[in-house]
Amino acid sequence: MRGPARIVGGWGVDATRSVQFSFDGRRMQGFSGDTLASALLANGVRLVGRSFKYHRPRGIVTAGPDEPCALVDVIGAHGREPNQLATTLALFQGLATESQNRRPSLRVDVLAINNLMARFLPAGFYYKTFMAPGWAWERVYEPLIRRAAGLGRLDAIVPAHATPAESVHDHADVLVVGAGAAGLAAAQVLGATGLRVLLADQDTVLGGGTLLDARWTRWRESVCAQLARTAAVRRLPGTTVSGAYGHGVYAAIQTLDPAESAAFGGMRERLRVIRARRVLFANGAHERLIAFPGNDRPGVMLAGAALAYLRRYGVAVGRRPAFFLNNDEAYESVYALTAAGICCAGVIDSRPRSLAADRARDMGIEVHAGAVVEKVYGRHEVRGLGWAARAGGQRHKLEADCLLMSGGYSPATALASQLGAALRWEESIAGFVPELSPDLGQAAGAARGHCGLAAAAHDGRAAARVIAAQLDCAVRVAGADADAEAELPPDPEATPISALWEVRCRGKAFVDLQNDVTAEDVRLASREGYEHVEHMKRYTTHGMGTDQGRSGGLVGSAVLAEARGMPLATVGLSRPRPYSQPVPLAALAGGETGQHFKPKRRLPLHDWHESAGATFVPVGLWLRPLVYARQGGWEPVLAEAGNVRRAVGITDVSTLGKIDVQGPDAARFLDFIYANTFSTLPVGRARYGIMLREDGMLLDDGTTSRLGPQHFLVTTTTANSAAVLEHMEFHLQATCPQFDVVLTDVSEHWAQFAVAGPRAREVVAAVVSAADLCADAFPFMAVAEARIGGIAGRVFRISFSGELAYELAVPARAARAAWVALLEAGKPCGIRPYGLDALNTLRIEKGHVTGAELNGNTSAGDLGFQRLLKRNGDFIGRTLAGRPGLAAPDRLQLVGLRPVDPAGRLRNGTQLIDASERGASLGYVTSSTPAVALDGWVGLALLARGRQRIGTRLLATSPIHDEHTEVEILSPHMLDPENQRVRS
Amino acid sequence: MSGPEYPGSPAELPGVRVDECTMGVVEIIARPGRAGELVEIARGRGIELPTFGRIAYSSDRLALCVRPDRWLLLLAPPAPAASGPDRVDWWESAAQAGAAVDQSSAWATLLLAGPRSREVLARGCRLDLDPLLFPVGLAAATIMAQVPVILAAVPSGLLLLTSASTARHFREWLAAAAKPFGLMPQSIISVADLCRSESG
Amino acid sequence: MLRIPCPWCGLRDEIEFRYRGDATAIRPAGDGGVDAFFSYVYERDNRRDWHLEWWLHTGGCRRLLEIERHTLTHEIRSVRDSAEALSARPAAAR
Repeated sequence: MRGPARIVGGWGVDATRSVQFSFDGRRMQGFSGDTLASALLANGVRLVGRSFKYHRPRGIVTAGPDEPCALVDVIGAHGREPNQLATTLALFQGLATESQNRRPSLRVDVLAINNLMARFLPAGFYYKTFMAPGWAWERVYEPLIRRAAGLGRLDAIVPAHATPAESVHDHADVLVVGAGAAGLAAAQVLGATGLRVLLADQDTVLGGGTLLDARWTRWRESVCAQLARTAAVRRLPGTTVSGAYGHGVYAAIQTLDPAESAAFGGMRERLRVIRARRVLFANGAHERLIAFPGNDRPGVMLAGAALAYLRRYGVAVGRRPAFFLNNDEAYESVYALTAAGICCAGVIDSRPRSLAADRARDMGIEVHAGAVVEKVYGRHEVRGLGWAARAGGQRHKLEADCLLMSGGYSPATALASQLGAALRWEESIAGFVPELSPDLGQAAGAARGHCGLAAAAHDGRAAARVIAAQLDCAVRVAGADADAEAELPPDPEATPISALWEVRCRGKAFVDLQNDVTAEDVRLASREGYEHVEHMKRYTTHGMGTDQGRSGGLVGSAVLAEARGMPLATVGLSRPRPYSQPVPLAALAGGETGQHFKPKRRLPLHDWHESAGATFVPVGLWLRPLVYARQGGWEPVLAEAGNVRRAVGITDVSTLGKIDVQGPDAARFLDFIYANTFSTLPVGRARYGIMLREDGMLLDDGTTSRLGPQHFLVTTTTANSAAVLEHMEFHLQATCPQFDVVLTDVSEHWAQFAVAGPRAREVVAAVVSAADLCADAFPFMAVAEARIGGIAGRVFRISFSGELAYELAVPARAARAAWVALLEAGKPCGIRPYGLDALNTLRIEKGHVTGAELNGNTSAGDLGFQRLLKRNGDFIGRTLAGRPGLAAPDRLQLVGLRPVDPAGRLRNGTQLIDASERGASLGYVTSSTPAVALDGWVGLALLARGRQRIGTRLLATSPIHDEHTEVEILSPHMLDPENQRVRS
Repeated sequence: MSGPEYPGSPAELPGVRVDECTMGVVEIIARPGRAGELVEIARGRGIELPTFGRIAYSSDRLALCVRPDRWLLLLAPPAPAASGPDRVDWWESAAQAGAAVDQSSAWATLLLAGPRSREVLARGCRLDLDPLLFPVGLAAATIMAQVPVILAAVPSGLLLLTSASTARHFREWLAAAAKPFGLMPQSIISVADLCRSESG
Repeated sequence: MLRIPCPWCGLRDEIEFRYRGDATAIRPAGDGGVDAFFSYVYERDNRRDWHLEWWLHTGGCRRLLEIERHTLTHEIRSVRDSAEALSARPAAAR
């Protein structure tokens, strides 16, 4: 087509406000209110992209979110955003866009040779061709295919999100999806009941089909005004409901208008998670394509799209349009274009006769009834078409610059199908309608197969009344209905559709324009055994594009049905899943990005640690001080650990889980939960305990203190604090509810510090009031209430480091005062804080286990805890821990190890093998560190028959690092096996 | 175009206020089958322990119940040297019926006020906070901004209790969510302030 | 996504709950032997049918709930507190 195509001012554009934009470097002008597609068409641009597989020239096909072809890259300040729909992309000043999948340019595309090689590129081509040799896939085939196929490309992952995003939770009694005649009428009825209604429509203007029919303007404006006054009805224009998840949960993407976008810092989309008691699907129907040779040529469009471009944007999609259709509704476009003064080249109607065709003839339009289009002339755009009688015979040529097709309308069933709705074949519309369970909601209007706006409005009202009755809400405003009924413009009388899916002639007839799937591909799939519609979909990729096959999905099923000789009703549609429309990942992430990506738990002393120069390490959600130094390497770690061994150190262990257990049955409960015995523990003492899963494997360990006859304090490992609490709560409620016990998580209330080292007693004694800390009065594993620097708290004589040590607990709010008091008191002793790395060094030397060894695969016997398992009484895991396999001698057992060469190093994860046998792995290193009390490196390992191998030598090997170190196997208790230090 | 939810530009927005409350918290847990007894003992001492999902308040304390047979009692903050349960002077007589555990350091407490506060919370709260369904007097435990939060509708606004370790995370999230609605600078308030009506 | 009508907290999103397994699996007595415990821990029917299961409402009341859910449709037919559920069971099945 030559020259500009803007002929009249559409209601949706403001012709007084021009907008500059560019496409493939060409600068053009549109109007405020245009989409990129309408502006391109207004500028006479037809060719907008190259197809996915064959690189065939493609144009704009639709006027909305169903668009299969007009996908573009938007070049923004923050990079290139691919796969934007030209048909919904609102034009703005300076918008820069580029076409996709063409090289070097849209008009000259070297890969269009794929089109000539099409006979070698059938469905399933990749599966059949790129088979061997295996290495070639990664190096040759995949890069080649990736370059040749596909649509847009990502330049790079944008490092920080260019625009903010958020998700919002919504609640309603009724979610109305779609604000056309049915949705508006339904919302009006529901609004009069006082029910809370959310009315969402993907268009930025509410009205749906009524927006294209001037007779409905008054009704629409009156209803919209009424809804705006109804507080219980919230209208969400620009909001696409694209996921229905059951249990009343829906996902919608809302596109923000410019004013709101500015208020929200440039946010473009918002994810709405909607929870509704009922849903009303009033989301209309999708116009279908017809599969005929050349139905993908730029200039072949859906008839309804031409109507939208004319009425909304004032754009004529052609100067000499031809039509190919099989239903009366599509004649609206014929009449409208003719009324706008555009000379219609002719109408090819597959039906022998129809009321609409008669009206067209009365207007002087030539209608070829009982005929089909067999050929499209023109390469980069439509120049004409060849038609013939459906019964066969001579082909006639018709000059035309665009071809507007309509194969009928398919109700939008995707969301209802996501909810499990069955689809029922409805012959009168040649389409499937959803059968939604009334407990979930209703479908109404075109979404339920009704033709005509008045019929849709009536249906919307009826559906709304059903829902209101279900939710026990009467329509409160008497007479509101009757008034509105009278205003509805009547639907014209129509001749029913006659199904037409495909015109079988020479040439490619597409059923999926985005994924380049032809009717022949569908037949091939059927021949090759992919007969089920779901198999056909996956074999051909039919309906797997961003448009989800809306315009051609049913056509593909129909071709398959014919190939299989089965009714279309039996073949059905492939089942859609969320999302029914593309959703930006940024919108799904919402606000949970950057610093909000996941919560950070901070210690009560976080700020102190920070000011002391700590480097933090994330441990689960916690931020823990790793080492009090900014520089890396082992030197500062070993200085901290060495100070503990020589003098005294202090470390923050507030991350430990702490569970307060009280009640007459507290001891019995702990005896059941733990593998060892707590009922024999005296008040004022602590005991190390291990906890098993019911399958006999270790779950967690820690010390438990008896604070009173019926009062215990359990500590858990940091990593398992939540899991152990849940474990205890579960069993107290499910397997031992008879116990009179209450559990309280006090992890957050108490800060806890370990003061460890030969001089620990001096430090603690200076701060802890009125307690005799001498070894006899307060021995290893003693516990007492005490004041720490004047603060009410608790003192535990427990040790993880292997040194004389105390753990001091104070309420977190007073943590800083207590910590500072301890540091002050420790100054003469040379106290220094130590971080997680030093803590780890100390415990490895001592042979204490953490999550690296309590890894879910180890039993009590594996870690040398078999003597802790009590002999009498039931406890969780007791029976299955006794299975022979869990006590087998060849299991991996905990051992210590060190390199034979004092200069050698160890690495976690290194496999242990017998060098003389070059056999399989016998185990692996779980933890390792340079030692401070010992020489060189030491580590812990899980080793088959480990205890038998103590004193032997093995090879620690890491092939990927090319490291092979001879190691000596030791007892895990490498330091002070007699526990003299901790008891001193 | 976007419906009635966000009229006006940020400058016209009425604003949201987030204040931080300092308080003592005691968790009171009834032993199995002893809840009624515990409630009676508390009532005898002038402390109302509300039914599940509700709050009860007087001029200087607020009790809320979001777990069956358990209450959080919010009081004036403890002196730094005090130990928790001792402060509930009626505790001795109730000890057989349950347990009282000091949780004063476990919770950070924020008060969100202003006409848009429920819209702000909808950015992370999955509960239906429609004032008709969640009026003053109700309390609930839920997950918000990926962390456990207890919320209660008090006369002065919405009370939010979050774990001490995640308090900073939660405050930062709340500040980000509230920003487009106009966030007023925060101040420190007391338990007594919670029970005054929002207009005051 | 499931929405579970907690008898205490009302209708809540799945994210607040922790699945705690098959509620028809009854822990054997402590001296029940390896076979009984093996069955309790490992043997599951995995049927396409109504299914009783435990869910711990960790993000709410922290009560353990017995939920009857259809494994195909995810429909939830009944929910009750574990205390009520256990008291309704015959003594042998507790």
